Parts: sequence; C-alpha cells; structure tokens
Amino acid sequence: MSFITACCQISEEACAVNGNVIVRKDEQSADSWFKQLYKELALDYPKFYKMDMLAQAGFLASEFIKKAFPELVSSYADDEIALLFANSESSSDTDIRFKESFQKRKSPSPSLFVYTLPNIVLGELAIRNKFYGENMFAVFPKFAPEFFLQYGSVMLATGSKAVLAGWLNILKGKVEVSVFLIEENKADGLPFNKENIIKCVGLADQA
Amino acid sequence: MTYIGAEEIISPLGQNIQENFLAVCENRSGISLVPKVGFNNEDLHLAKMTSLTAEKKFEFLLVDMLENISVQIDPSVISSTKTLIILSSTKGDLDRDISNPFDPAVGALVKHFNLKNQPIIVSNACISGVLAINAANNFIKAGFYDHIIVIGCDVISDFVLYGFQSLFAVSALPCLPFDKNRSGITLGEGCSAVVVSNTKEIFKNLPLELLSGTSANDANHISGPSRTGEGLYRTIQKTIRQNNISADEIDFISAHGTATIFNDEMEATAFDRLNMANIPLNSMKGYFGHTLGAAGVMETAISMRMMRNNLLIKSLGYSEAGTSKSLNIATENRPSELNTILKTASGFGGCNASLLLRKL
Repeated sequence: MSFITACCQISEEACAVNGNVIVRKDEQSADSWFKQLYKELALDYPKFYKMDMLAQAGFLASEFIKKAFPELVSSYADDEIALLFANSESSSDTDIRFKESFQKRKSPSPSLFVYTLPNIVLGELAIRNKFYGENMFAVFPKFAPEFFLQYGSVMLATGSKAVLAGWLNILKGKVEVSVFLIEENKADGLPFNKENIIKCVGLADQA
Repeated sequence: MTYIGAEEIISPLGQNIQENFLAVCENRSGISLVPKVGFNNEDLHLAKMTSLTAEKKFEFLLVDMLENISVQIDPSVISSTKTLIILSSTKGDLDRDISNPFDPAVGALVKHFNLKNQPIIVSNACISGVLAINAANNFIKAGFYDHIIVIGCDVISDFVLYGFQSLFAVSALPCLPFDKNRSGITLGEGCSAVVVSNTKEIFKNLPLELLSGTSANDANHISGPSRTGEGLYRTIQKTIRQNNISADEIDFISAHGTATIFNDEMEATAFDRLNMANIPLNSMKGYFGHTLGAAGVMETAISMRMMRNNLLIKSLGYSEAGTSKSLNIATENRPSELNTILKTASGFGGCNASLLLRKL
C-alpha cells in the first residue's frame, strides 16, 4: 500500500508544508516571492537564479519537502525516486518571454529557449538531487488527480520505490504549485488515493 | 502480452505509412532547402510539409492521422470507453495560441471522433514519443485501458527554429547523423501514430509485441548531453533487464542520432558501454529531420515496417565514422532478419528513454 508522506503547496501569497503555512509573502520586501522562499531555505545553490519560474517552483517545493524530511534522498537508491509532474500551462510563461526576445528585442535568447519545455524542471530536480530514475511530464486542460493516481501506481509497480509528484502552474504571475511525495509501506502518511491527491494539491474546485 | 501495430506516418515524404516507407526504402529524404526561413532571413534546410499552410495545421494533422488509423483497426475502438489517446508533442499548436498550445486542437479531435476519455499530452522534450508508447504499455498492463492510440505530432515554427539557431545547433547542410562532418540538427515536422492494445484481433494486419520500456535522467545538464551517456546507458540497461533480454538478442537499434556533435558522441559512448557497438544501428533524422515530439513515434513506426519487411534501412547522411567509439551504422539497405529491435531517445532536461519491439 502506498501513502502520500509529504506535500508542499506554494500559492501567490504563502507556502505550506503538510498543510501548515511556514512562510507568508512579505509585500514590503524588495525580493520577489520566489527569492524570499529561496532565502528562507538558506541554501547555497546559485543555479537557482538561472532557472525559469517553473523550474524554480519545482525546486523550492521539493527543497521544502526535503527540509521537513532530511533523510528523504539518502534513504533511496539514486534511481528509485521517480518524477511525475504535470500542469495545464506547459512552459507558456517562458515561451512568451522567449518569443518576446526574438520579436521585440530582435535577439532570440538561448538561455530562455532551453527553458521552453515543461520537463526542464525534472532535469533541474535530477541534477540537484542526483536522481537517475523515471521521468514523466504531462499536460492537461485542468488538474487531473486521476492521472497522478494511475501513473503514480504504475511507477511504483514498475520498479520505482517512491514518486515525487507535482502540479506546477506558472503563467503571467499565477502561482499554483503543489509537490507531494508518494512512498510505499509508510504508515504515517495519507493513503494514496484520489481524495488525498486533491487535498494535497488543494484544487478541489477544479477536480 | 501487449501488442503494437497500425503504425502510420504523415510527413514531407507522404500522407500515409506506405508512401513514407517506400520513400525511405528508396533512401529519399524529406529535407530540402527552404528560402529565407532563418532568423536572419537565411535559407535553411528543413523537412517541411509544403502542403501544410492552414492556420489549424496541427489540428488537421491530428484529425488526418486518426482517420488513417481508423482504417487499420476495428473502427469501433476509437470511440470506445476503454480507449485512450496519448498525444506526444513538445510545442503543439504554439503559433495558434502560445498560452494554450494543446487544448484547441485536442478539443477538436475529441469532438470530431467522439472520444470518451480526455487525451493525455506527454510533453517531455525529444523523448516524448518513446515515453508515450511506454506509458501506453504501462497503462494497459495495469488494466486502466484496453487500447491506447499514441499520436506524436510537432510542426515547424519560427519559435523552435530560431531557438535552435540561437544555440548554434542547426546544420547548414541536411543533417548528417553520426558522421564525422555532422554539425547540428535539421528540423522536421509531421505526425505519426501507433496503436497499443491488449487485443490482437483489433488490428487488420498482424501486430508486433511491445515489451516494457523505461526512462532515466542523466542528472547532469539541462541542455547538454552527458559525456558518459549515463541516462541512456541506464534506461537501456533497465529495459533489457526487465525483459530478460541480452544485447546479443537485439537485431537492430533505432537510435536517436540528432546529428549534433555532442548528442551522437553521447549515444556512441552509451552503446559502447553496453557492449552494443556491433549491433546494426541507424538514425532516421536524415529522412524526416528532427520532428521533436513526433520523432519517437515516427521512428518506432519505421522500425515496425523494417521488421515486417525484414529490411534494414540505411542511415541517410552517414559516410565516415565521427564518434570516439565506433558504431555499426547501416550504410546501405540490406535484407536482414529483424526479430527484436531497440528504440532509444534522448532529450533536453537530461531525459532518455528506450523500448523493445519483438515479432510475434
């Protein structure tokens, strides 16, 4: 039996781990919201600043989960944690910026272009954590809890021991981020079912 | 057992699988010099479908593809409640709506064919096609669906072309996969599909067996291939182990072979590490260009035709070894007993995927 053992949600105003708000956006700060969250983590990972917002979103949420569970990465072999992410906006936020780079500024930006694929966030998480496991990024018109349930189960049945899953929507200032961890045989989590996926992602109205 | 069949392709080389396979058998390429398409108005080689001019070209390709598929299988399968469509695409119909590149076309497809399940769009860079076929197999084995139609589709846009130009990754000549003089990709466009099913009887022609496939990340770089080919090495090793297959049982490798210096070198390194350097291998990019999200499906479809015809198709554009580890690249078409084929793909985000096909 598998369980959701941790989740992190980030909205435009707050960041919560396992349902408890741990950071609220400081409107007075000169830093962007994601920079505030990065500083809260007190990490030394300058690559964060090169990432687009979609990759930053996945990075921040997964780091908050790791902070709550420091043994997470070390308790699995390097190919046992699968990455299962989805959204409804693909990489549109960065796509729009890249299009502006060649249409308005007349200079297509290679550093933006490499982020014009939604699965780049999976690459960033793999690099950060040395994850060599399975990858899947899918796009849906709206939040699709059934997909996480079905494909999460598939991944656990085909060799992965844990699944780091995420619903990440970033577009024109919208921040709708949820990352959750699915593990097997851990009694201290929520049973991995549709109801609890909806609860973790916090989008009951869409599902 | 999972079956795979009803392979189809729409590309610059033809409107159906027969026309496309005939073209590759004759070693004809869909690549041509297209005037003034580059960012600086330069002429560039592309595998472009000149017939595709409609604003809704992405949607039309999907609809045409499903029409093609419907004559190759029991037509009632398409609108069955036990059938799912998985679309593999990197950029969808980005020119129509950059903020919403998939929905309008997919919505039209659902309506046109009265599809019962919401299609899943796999958008995982250049492994999307192979990953989508593997996902189809996994979904069927888990009992969630009986049949899955995997459609891979991407069209050429200024967006993608200028992007690859900004990375200095576009070849001045038609691409030369694995060749010493290779210098980058040639972009292509098109649509391809395969049907994955637990029921042999839905296929009008005898299907093949689809063995379980896997994926693996390089955990190395978001846009540069791993120097050691780590992710490709790992996915192939996982795939052959899961199926209890040894390297000497593989008759042929349909490689990714984009014709960038680093990608092809990475693939050669991985195949060498796996003791697979002697297995005959090709890249189809010299025929179709790099069709991104469609490539994995298209190259699987061609591999299936190669198996059905026991014909090894030469790797177009290759003449002189150009990787530090030597490979057995097919330099001419030749009859060959092809019972088991390995298909691989690698892409941005450090992702790699592989699958195995076997004759029944």
